[in-house]
Amino acid sequence: MSNQERTVLTGNQGVARGFYEAGGLVAASYPGSPTVEILESIKEYKEVYSEFSTSEKVALEVAIGGSFAGVRSMASMKHVGVNIAADPLMTFTQTKTNGGFVLLSGDDPGMASSQNEQDNRILGKFANMGILVPADSQEAKDFTKTAFDLSEDYHLPMMVNITSRVCHSRTPVVLGERKDVQAKAFEKDVERYCMIPPHTHKLQHDMKNRIEKLKELAYDSELNVLEEKKGADTLVITSGLVYHNLKELNPPVSIYKLGMVYPISPKKIQELSDKYENIIVVEELMPLIENEVKLMGVSCEGKKYFPFTGELHTEVIEEGLLEAGVLSERKTSDKKPAASVKRPPLFCAGCPHRPIFDILKKLRKRVIGDIGCYSMAMFEPFQASDSIISMGATLGITKGMSKANGLVGNSEPLVSVIGDGTMFHSGLPGFVNLLHQKDDAENMTFIILDNRTTAMTGGQPTAASGNYAKEDDMKVDIKAILKTMGHENVKEVDQFDYEATKEVIKTETNTPGISFIIAKRPCALKFKIQENTFYVNPNVCIGCRNCVKTNCPPIRMKKYKNIDKLKSSIDPDMCAGCSVCAQVCPVDAIQPKGQHPDHSKKGSAKYKRKEYEKYDLNND
Amino acid sequence: METINILLGGVGGQGLVLTTDIICKAAFKEGYDVKSNDVIGLAQRGGMVWGSVRFGRKVHSPNIPVGKAHYVLGLEPLEAQRWDHLLNEQSVVIVNTKEVHPTPALLEKVDYPTDEIKEFYERYENYTSNFSNDAKKLGNRKAANTVLIGIMARFLPISVETWKEILKENVPPKAIEVNMKAFDFGYSEFENE
Repeated sequence: MSNQERTVLTGNQGVARGFYEAGGLVAASYPGSPTVEILESIKEYKEVYSEFSTSEKVALEVAIGGSFAGVRSMASMKHVGVNIAADPLMTFTQTKTNGGFVLLSGDDPGMASSQNEQDNRILGKFANMGILVPADSQEAKDFTKTAFDLSEDYHLPMMVNITSRVCHSRTPVVLGERKDVQAKAFEKDVERYCMIPPHTHKLQHDMKNRIEKLKELAYDSELNVLEEKKGADTLVITSGLVYHNLKELNPPVSIYKLGMVYPISPKKIQELSDKYENIIVVEELMPLIENEVKLMGVSCEGKKYFPFTGELHTEVIEEGLLEAGVLSERKTSDKKPAASVKRPPLFCAGCPHRPIFDILKKLRKRVIGDIGCYSMAMFEPFQASDSIISMGATLGITKGMSKANGLVGNSEPLVSVIGDGTMFHSGLPGFVNLLHQKDDAENMTFIILDNRTTAMTGGQPTAASGNYAKEDDMKVDIKAILKTMGHENVKEVDQFDYEATKEVIKTETNTPGISFIIAKRPCALKFKIQENTFYVNPNVCIGCRNCVKTNCPPIRMKKYKNIDKLKSSIDPDMCAGCSVCAQVCPVDAIQPKGQHPDHSKKGSAKYKRKEYEKYDLNND
Repeated sequence: METINILLGGVGGQGLVLTTDIICKAAFKEGYDVKSNDVIGLAQRGGMVWGSVRFGRKVHSPNIPVGKAHYVLGLEPLEAQRWDHLLNEQSVVIVNTKEVHPTPALLEKVDYPTDEIKEFYERYENYTSNFSNDAKKLGNRKAANTVLIGIMARFLPISVETWKEILKENVPPKAIEVNMKAFDFGYSEFENE
């Protein structure tokens, strides 16, 4: 590869390439939007060890191990992943970093695909890390490399904080060569690596000192770029993609673009404040830069003019600058989107979650949900998920609600749903905890949606995927785990056998005690259903809409020629062949393609699903 | 030259990310500065997805300013109409009219906005047809997006050779032939209009 080869990369691919060029050797992650593509891209580099760990906490620990062993290591995760990884992070950060360590945090201003909007720059400061914020794919690559250098030069873990927009945006990148970095041997040094007092007492000062030193670097670092405009009396301080959105306006201001948003050089800010009448900070989410500048005794404005939530698009920035008096007339259009029909996400055609939530809806159960594709059960028409908080939270929440209900005389049965990926991520402690102070009068049913993959983020393996796919190596047996823990009532169902599954869920939710139902059908995107597509016979259909209410993408009511009433229809291009619609049809109007049963004899047309085992990938 | 802005709208699972990638790479290969975006929503499939490509001498933001889109590639009619506010009188609308009904329409809470969409087409220079059917006839209905690219290619300062080279490099090997046909079909379909 020549030094000057140019290509187009996403921000995620840029980070991956930066890790590679920096000589990175250990990379770990847990799949989550917007950063899932980083580890997927790193997997292409064969000289690197990489893994999707079972959780962000484990991923961070794997990267700490790599750093201890003296090689450049990176953990990448979405912003909320850092929460579960915060425990090792907050203590590891005290140690004098050996091999370069980078924590890549993907933030999601505007929450395109996240449960909250937390600003992880705040966590980076909290953890006494230096924080770099790239604005495009070139910087994603370059800053990742720089972060490794700084981590080793200043002996601290570095955060690269990238927003979802930059993760997915493609921009041109100049590629470089991979650097050969010597491993720095791990030498026994308990004061450096064993984090107990009094070792940690001195380290508080070390952490402060290293940030002070980084401030000196920040003064004239190439990471921070000052673009001065002749005659401007206003300075805008900004970073990341917001810089490019600002540039679209070509405003009459000088711009100080921070590549490193923490720490900031007070000397530099002081100098700039002597030179400019006004300082305005334009940053997404929390006022980190603004507050840092104010703490230096320099006056500036930021959140007074710009929103604290959502993305700062060009139009939003213009509005703030107009209000601040920096701009005098609006150049962008203020045309707003017209109201149009919404398109909320829905379960895919053939999704194995569909029958489960159709059944739960019909049984009108209280359902404590969790994080995964099955979060979408909260939408119409199922509305069969009453809470969603964080990965694995359903177990503790369900138990807590059940205990509380018991104390106030409420005996409502509770259903908890969790996927296999989420179970291995952070559900296992909750499953064990159910054994403590068990009360046989309580009624809790835990449904494990074992679809054998981390579906929502694109089908990464889970710890159970190896049971079904040759390329995956972890073969944890969920039933055996629960049994070994000491849970007795564990059942398995094939949810594409609708009636049998309904019977099991009905029985278990009507019976006191703790029960577990493992729903075994795999993700229809990753493991194709080997069945015919289905069609509706409009002459048999009575228009009851039972099938439509399963909310399958290809099923809708349609006007047929010579039939007055609307009848159901299935778009054959989209049907996956799961047969759930055929099974909920009361008149057997839905049949597999090519089958035209005689409907004159009652019951003779009932669609019968073939035995589940025939479709088990174990047997192929 | 003025920066050219292309907006793509579709439904999760229709291949919008790959289509965005292909346009982006073609513009880059032709020597332009380029930035693109594609936003993947909550789900793998079924939800609204959109992307943008901007190319020219120098591009700052990957986001298309309101009212500044030159082309809308609609992989689905409603998802093209949704971006009406990004267009102006000169914009060109290229839409695959194969409808994918969203949940509120599937549940009969609202009608699929067929009339509004027609009215939307009429306000712009538009090239609309069920290109899934055309692609199916050419060999694979999944090549419908390439028909859209072919139609747009006639307007853009990017050579046919570049388009074909990028398509070949980025579609699955088995699908190269049908994609070449789909591109040619789109490129010549509205030649005489």
